[in-house]
Amino acid sequence: MTEDNPFTPTEPSAETRAETGGQRYTPVDEIPDVAPSKELDWRTRIVAATPTAWRVLKYGVAIAVAVLWIVPFVGLFMASFRPLGEIIQGWWHLEGMTVTLENYRRAWSYQTAPMGRALFNTLIVTVPSVLVVMLLGAMAAYPFAKFEFPLKTTLFFLILLVMAAPPELVAMGNYNTLREIGLFDTYMGLILVHIGWGLGWVVLFLRNYLLGIPKELEEAARIDGASRYQIFRTIILPLSTPALVSVAVIQFTWVWNAFFFPLVFMRSPELYLAPQVLPLMRGRIQVEWGLMAAGSVLTMAAPVILFLLLERYYKRGMVAAVAD
Amino acid sequence: MDGVSKYFDAGETVANYRLDLEVADGEFLVILGPSGCGKTTALRLIAGLETPSEGDIYFDDECVNRRSPSDRNVAMVFQNYALYPHMSVRENIAYPLKIRGIPPDERDRRIEEVTELLHIEGQVDKHPGELSGGQRQRVALARAIVREPSVFLLDEPLSNLDAKLRQEMRSELKRLQDELDITTIYVTHNQEEAMSMADNVVVMYRGTIQQIAPPEELYARPRTAWVARFIGSPPMNLFRGTRRNGAVDLGDAGTVTLDGVVGSDLEADTAAGDVSLGVRPEDLFISTDPPTDGNAIEGTVDTVEPLGEYALVNVSVNDQLVTVKVSDAGVERDDRVYLTFGDDDAYLYDENGELLTRTASAKTT
Repeated sequence: MTEDNPFTPTEPSAETRAETGGQRYTPVDEIPDVAPSKELDWRTRIVAATPTAWRVLKYGVAIAVAVLWIVPFVGLFMASFRPLGEIIQGWWHLEGMTVTLENYRRAWSYQTAPMGRALFNTLIVTVPSVLVVMLLGAMAAYPFAKFEFPLKTTLFFLILLVMAAPPELVAMGNYNTLREIGLFDTYMGLILVHIGWGLGWVVLFLRNYLLGIPKELEEAARIDGASRYQIFRTIILPLSTPALVSVAVIQFTWVWNAFFFPLVFMRSPELYLAPQVLPLMRGRIQVEWGLMAAGSVLTMAAPVILFLLLERYYKRGMVAAVAD
Repeated sequence: MDGVSKYFDAGETVANYRLDLEVADGEFLVILGPSGCGKTTALRLIAGLETPSEGDIYFDDECVNRRSPSDRNVAMVFQNYALYPHMSVRENIAYPLKIRGIPPDERDRRIEEVTELLHIEGQVDKHPGELSGGQRQRVALARAIVREPSVFLLDEPLSNLDAKLRQEMRSELKRLQDELDITTIYVTHNQEEAMSMADNVVVMYRGTIQQIAPPEELYARPRTAWVARFIGSPPMNLFRGTRRNGAVDLGDAGTVTLDGVVGSDLEADTAAGDVSLGVRPEDLFISTDPPTDGNAIEGTVDTVEPLGEYALVNVSVNDQLVTVKVSDAGVERDDRVYLTFGDDDAYLYDENGELLTRTASAKTT
């Protein structure tokens, strides 16, 4: 109990202070506002700023890896903005470069499957797949994180188990089911498959996040009179914003870029999604590199824009989460 | 709640409980005990966050065992405040009102009232993350008070504050409780908080209640040896000895006659057995010469701790360290000293740790 006693003096007694004289203490007004700058000549500064060989090597490797990553993207961009004649020799030949939007115009209204329509189709599939997964995922993750119920561990294990299955395996069963119930070659069917496929990791991800929310917050809300549902809506959901935003971005990217599921479940060309349309753009006689590049850039744009838009909320959510 | 007493009577076998506790309306009750003694569980039982596995809890004359926390009209302040981080201070305080469907006008009026009462008017638009510990504490209190609950539960609300703030909040809490006259149950492991604020203190140890008494009585008449050692800083000294022929034999240190200590209304003087003689450090006096009359215990000075206002002298008596609180030490290590005390200041505990002295000591602090 004594450590709690505010009266218990902790400083050394007055005698020891007096022995060393007044010199030991710096008067308060002598403390500078900013850290004193060091007086150094140029030679020392240069030496201090020059990296060591080891450091140079590390930077070299890091930069090389970064370049290796970025080069294909640069190539894609270059190809999408230039006529086919210029890029057939390789996009890195920069002499006589012409910048044109021709590829984009053609891709947008490509006759077999116009990119414009394909992108819109993709949006129709992606938005519900993301929103429903977020809502259902949060609703399923909450009890797994905070409640006690029979078979909790078993059920959770089952979810993990399903996640381990490869999409090719799932596809066969789903194909038959969708045919049976007449949802084959419909967006509803595809959306349901995406939701089911996404729920596994979303529940796991959100559960782990929700475990980190202190239980006192819920108890406080319970005492304040909130029902289970009110706690979920007014406390748990707002506090999970950062996790939900992560889920949205990742699930969006996954559904948007998904190639396999649309390939299996969508047959009518007018219902094709963007990733399905891309291979069609190859052309008959000659590979239309420029067209494909433009189509790829258009397809890639959506997840990137979404991420940029949500980054703000992402950060805000993070701040709210740590500010206890 | 018209002057009816509330009955809390909970027993939880798993956590080693058998609590009988009664709190009067408007009372400030403090549950005091070391960590892990079950005091927080007791509070959570009252709050309704846990259900008793045995026994019943009554509010007035109504059994509330099966009632949810929200139906009990209790308010609770948590050790880590449990403010909702995504809401501003105003929203935090408004939350319980909003949930209960109180109209916005009424809500604003009450929030204004309570923020004024707690001096946080300037902070209402900030988020909890921007507040200092003391301010968060006030917000948590405001959120609890604004509901005008019938019982106010506080779970170590001050333990996250620094010493100075803690003292400030302590007097403020006491003032608030006096003003609002809400029945309050306060859990703490800090005896200073308990002693300074409580109308009644419940001392808990290992899931059971050791003593329920007002602070003065707790200090002056600890019911068991454990309470005696727990209350007071530094704690009470307990000399182990054997009771024999109306005296306590302390071995080499001497013998203490019990004439003055144990009242004649108690057991026969011939009662024997192992006992502990308790004397508080502040009731012991040191002298270097053997006293001519009265009881004295012989020992050797082990260390002296000067603390400015007073000094603590640790005296070794029969391999046992005994602390004496003196205003001026005047002794040194290895000095041979004699400890004396007034008969009224000594307590005798049997081998079970129960207080034997029945002479209600008139001493008050």
